[in-house]
Amino acid sequence: MVKVYSITNCPWCDKLKKYLKSKGVDYEEHNIETNEDDLKECIRLTNDEAVPVTTADGKNYVLGFDKTKIDELLGI
Amino acid sequence: MSVYDFTAKTNSGEEKSLRDYEGKVLIIVNTASKCGFTPQYKELQELYDKYKDKGLEILGFPCNQFAGQEPGTNDEVRQFCRRNYGVSFQIFEKGDVRGETAQPLFKYLTKEKKFEGFDKNHPIAEKLTEALKANFPEYLEGDGIKWNFTKFLIDRKGNPVKRFEPTTTPSDMAADIEKLL
Repeated sequence: MVKVYSITNCPWCDKLKKYLKSKGVDYEEHNIETNEDDLKECIRLTNDEAVPVTTADGKNYVLGFDKTKIDELLGI
Repeated sequence: MSVYDFTAKTNSGEEKSLRDYEGKVLIIVNTASKCGFTPQYKELQELYDKYKDKGLEILGFPCNQFAGQEPGTNDEVRQFCRRNYGVSFQIFEKGDVRGETAQPLFKYLTKEKKFEGFDKNHPIAEKLTEALKANFPEYLEGDGIKWNFTKFLIDRKGNPVKRFEPTTTPSDMAADIEKLL
């Protein structure tokens, strides 16, 4: 399952989610502002508190709304 | 007329008169709460840490009028959001800062201190101008706020002294701040 780490009121997170929906990608959203465990997980993965972060395997990830890199990561 | 004639709601919903800041040097800035030129948040916080004991206060006014827009190919405008910049200065409620719907404080500030162009030496100045021309040409006209992180420096009597465009990084304001402290 594809995971998206996000925060509230983040235009880039919204754009990313819209993009994934348009491509028919199922994803779980993890809001790192409202959930401490998600925050810890995101920091463990990226060493940072920046979002959106997209990952499929919990190891490789893309930071930000970078369509080219996201397509590559998810093979879409 | 001075900035003390205005009130604003803090981000916790409390009505605050700017007269509460009488006698302080102020920076009033429209911020993008989490995106945009957000690295300037960090520099503003550094200014605040350095000068707050000498009487500097920073008033941040988050505004979504610029934040949600795609900057096109401008890859220097950060295309992600950050959870936390460790900001401890006062943040006010989200509101508009340009056009008809702008908060009265910003209408006053932009009338007092007009747009005098971007700092052309700033690495983003050219790209910002191009992005504005392409997406919001009307923003380039007149004295309204052009983009996030337009900073107004206010003296100890509440008078706007100087306007700094987004293309001036906060650390470059230090000399002007020191003059007023």
